[in-house]
Amino acid sequence: MKFPSSTPIWRRYLRILRRDVRGDVDEELRFHFEERVEELMALGLDRETAERTAHDEFGDVSTVRNDLREIGERVARRHDRIEWVRSLASDFRYAARSLGRTPMMAGAIVLTLALGVGVNAAMFSLLDLLYLRPPAGVAHPEGVHRVWVERSFESGPQFWSGFDYPSFSAIRDALGDLAATAIYTTRNTAATSPAGATSEVVLSNVNGDFFALLGVRVARGRAFTAADDQLGQPANVAVISDAYWHRALNGDPDVLGSAITIGKGRYTIVGIMPRGFTGVELGATDVWLPFAALEPASAGTWWTNRNRNGFQVLIRPREGVGSGAIDARVTRALHRPDLLYRPSDTLQVARLGSIIRARGPGRTQQEVGIAARLGGVAVIVLLIAIANVVNLLLSRAMRRRQEIAVRLALGISRGRLVRLLVSESVLLSLAAGVAALAAAWWGGSLMRALLLPDVHWAWAPLHWRVLLFAIALAITAGVLAGLVPALQSVNPALTDALKSGVREGTVQRSRVRGALVVVQVALSMVLLVGAALFLRSLSNVRGLDIGFDARELLFADLGFDATDSVSNARLEQALGDIAERLRTVRGVKQIALASFRPMYAFSFTKLFPDIDTTGRKLPTPTFAVVSPEYFAATGLRIVRGTGFGGGTALRIVVNSAMADAFWPGENAVGRCIRLQKPDAPCAMVSGVVETARRDKVIEDPKPQFYLPFGTRGFEGWKPRTVIVRADEAAQMLVGNEIRRQLRRALPSAQITITRMTDELEPEYRPWKTGAALFTLFGLLAIIVAAVGIYSTVSYVVSQRTHEFGVRIALGAQMTDIARQVIGDGLRPVVVGVVVGVVLALAGGRLIASLLYGVAPSDARVLAEVSMGLLAIAIVAALVPARRAARVDPIAALRAD
Amino acid sequence: MTTRELELLQGTFDVLVLRALSWGPMHGYAVARFIRQGSDGTFRVLDGALYTALHRMEEREWVESEWGTSEKGKRAKFYRLTAAGRRALRAETESWNAYVAAVARVMSAAPEPA
Repeated sequence: MKFPSSTPIWRRYLRILRRDVRGDVDEELRFHFEERVEELMALGLDRETAERTAHDEFGDVSTVRNDLREIGERVARRHDRIEWVRSLASDFRYAARSLGRTPMMAGAIVLTLALGVGVNAAMFSLLDLLYLRPPAGVAHPEGVHRVWVERSFESGPQFWSGFDYPSFSAIRDALGDLAATAIYTTRNTAATSPAGATSEVVLSNVNGDFFALLGVRVARGRAFTAADDQLGQPANVAVISDAYWHRALNGDPDVLGSAITIGKGRYTIVGIMPRGFTGVELGATDVWLPFAALEPASAGTWWTNRNRNGFQVLIRPREGVGSGAIDARVTRALHRPDLLYRPSDTLQVARLGSIIRARGPGRTQQEVGIAARLGGVAVIVLLIAIANVVNLLLSRAMRRRQEIAVRLALGISRGRLVRLLVSESVLLSLAAGVAALAAAWWGGSLMRALLLPDVHWAWAPLHWRVLLFAIALAITAGVLAGLVPALQSVNPALTDALKSGVREGTVQRSRVRGALVVVQVALSMVLLVGAALFLRSLSNVRGLDIGFDARELLFADLGFDATDSVSNARLEQALGDIAERLRTVRGVKQIALASFRPMYAFSFTKLFPDIDTTGRKLPTPTFAVVSPEYFAATGLRIVRGTGFGGGTALRIVVNSAMADAFWPGENAVGRCIRLQKPDAPCAMVSGVVETARRDKVIEDPKPQFYLPFGTRGFEGWKPRTVIVRADEAAQMLVGNEIRRQLRRALPSAQITITRMTDELEPEYRPWKTGAALFTLFGLLAIIVAAVGIYSTVSYVVSQRTHEFGVRIALGAQMTDIARQVIGDGLRPVVVGVVVGVVLALAGGRLIASLLYGVAPSDARVLAEVSMGLLAIAIVAALVPARRAARVDPIAALRAD
Repeated sequence: MTTRELELLQGTFDVLVLRALSWGPMHGYAVARFIRQGSDGTFRVLDGALYTALHRMEEREWVESEWGTSEKGKRAKFYRLTAAGRRALRAETESWNAYVAAVARVMSAAPEPA
């Protein structure tokens, strides 16, 4: 076997890149053979014999060669690894040193990145809590399903997840062995500890199988069993959470067996849940009671009442049972005639959703929808932050031109140099990532408070998923931001940079800067347009006429003990007198009574109007039972006829929507409707009132009618709410006075006073939070952009000082210079505004469904925001422009 | 050379190479020459095995290599002991000496009277 006689030239050059194992091995062996042959020939052998002898002495050359190559490769690889790590470490050390020399700029970059990443991490943690995290402590949460019902309407399908007890029974019986079932309901209430301290708690009434279904075990004591949950005879037992145990009961281990008081009931604590389990809702549950304890034993068969609904149903199918089979069974079970809400309600279908409520098929609350979209906004903020960081890094690279040029001249490879510069960005982004976590913690809490304030959040805000997300995002952002300046700085004109005093003439760099300004302005534009749209929507929604004069209305809800039926009858009679007395309170304009608060609930009954209903599809009106002063008190205008009027005749008042639906084009007054039964006596329509909202501030007109108290057939509807119309300014005093009077007159009643404006406030929240967040981000963005504009114009001015000096010396006016500087500085801003408008129009579709009364393409909004942005940009450019105009020509000409 | 040429025992090879290098850096051929001459030609060294041993010791970091110039001016790969290699040499020498002494003892021991 012969080796190449000498290493080929191309191999020798390759050695520059990495060790050439093959060539080395061949060369070493070649050397050996040459020496040995020489030695043997010196001893007298001829060449041929010498060569043969040398080969014999060597052994199997090809095997040895391969072995040596293998070993050589391994050694080379290890060597390379060590080298790589060492060079990386030295890169980072160098990066740290050079950053340490400019701490201000490093700090600015870290802060900007931390802001962008932190905002995203906060949004991500919110979305994580809403969508990704199953309730803690539940065994195999993916096997637990929430039951939803889908009803198809003309406007599309709608989903409900609340059931009444008879429906739950039907579901349970239909599923039998196939799945475990549980029912529960949650509410906020007050609880008094054994020691006597009262606090607000989140209470959950759960059936006996609830804990077993979830696979949760008590940490102390015991959980509920079916025996505790007998309908009609609930055991007065309670299970508390670990958090409540520590918060309100001091973690006292002897608390088992003592009793807490909730409402009118005393419940013995029999169990404490382990730490980390806080129920299956977003908010942390503090106390669990048996489902049957929802009402006291004296409340009759309350669970058969189909109006008690809104209970959540969970099921856990057995191993191997598919959800399709379960869906079908549940659907069939719910189609029983006595369970359907309307005779024609055969369109409902059962669906199983994840245990995480936000992931169910039901339309998510608007706040959750906004949270998802705001994720997009957070990304925009990050892009702006990155753009700004690129700007800062470019300036930094500019100042290090000489240092970089020297390094290149000394022979560092461009790849290595880029890696060096990028490692600076990586260090910065790691620091930013850590800072971002702090921002995310604080910002996450802020956002949760803004978007979902009714929830007592159960989990700690930071999860490893969020940490990972933040760090990964920070590093990606940092590397991206660092790449552009790094790649740019390795291509300077070497000789130019080495020379000092060179004016930066490359157009290339200012183009990048200009592009950055465009990006920042465009994105700020998008955010500010969003803010303006939300603000406009908010004012539109607030300006809606809901029919009621909400500002002047107070409600006093009266809760009577179900056990006290005798005194109830007396008291209700007395309510008429009480109302009279309340009218004399100072500040009160009118008092009325109603079966429930406006916009709180509604009732159905069967109707038989005096028209031919064949072939006509009539909507189902709802009704409320009210006193005659109701319309005056609430501010509903009577458009035709009068109110109830006096007398014992059967009368009803309908609203315009109902009048138009039943008697279009005619006068509804005087018409007759039979209630409940087709042969019931005729109830005459005595008046038509304007249509008021029934459930929400934004809804289609709903047909409703009103009955006076004591109407035959509706004696069961008793006054439960006192409606107080009072001066807006006096509401606090009036409320207190009303409460005092009511308490004196009805000592055994529970009295709750609410203002209608407070009741309505949650409905405005989506627009309020949207406006708040977009405005916050938008302002941040515009500040960043303004700083960007300022620094860009400033930089250009400093580069062109010489030129300005010359021009002033030649006679140019200060205003000319200033105007030119501002004009140049504004050019990218104008481009940015145009791009921003395009982006806003394109992205408008995404938030169109959240707006009210204003389209995403509203021209006025776009124009106003554009003008605003341009104005800010002019101001930002003004300062350096003034500096340019004041250049002293002599100093400028002399300077380098 | 008239001697019998003995096969070098497995394991004793490394000691000899380490010993050779303890005199200073050498290239592979010099090590081969050292062993051959040092044993007066007794040992038949398969050169291939020698180079394999050298490279394996380099992988174990007992020796390190460097390209240099031979006495005659040619490019050659030189090997040098590392600190770990020196420690290994000491350890191997001790165990070799113990081995040799034990064998000699047995060889010169007379049988015990029955």
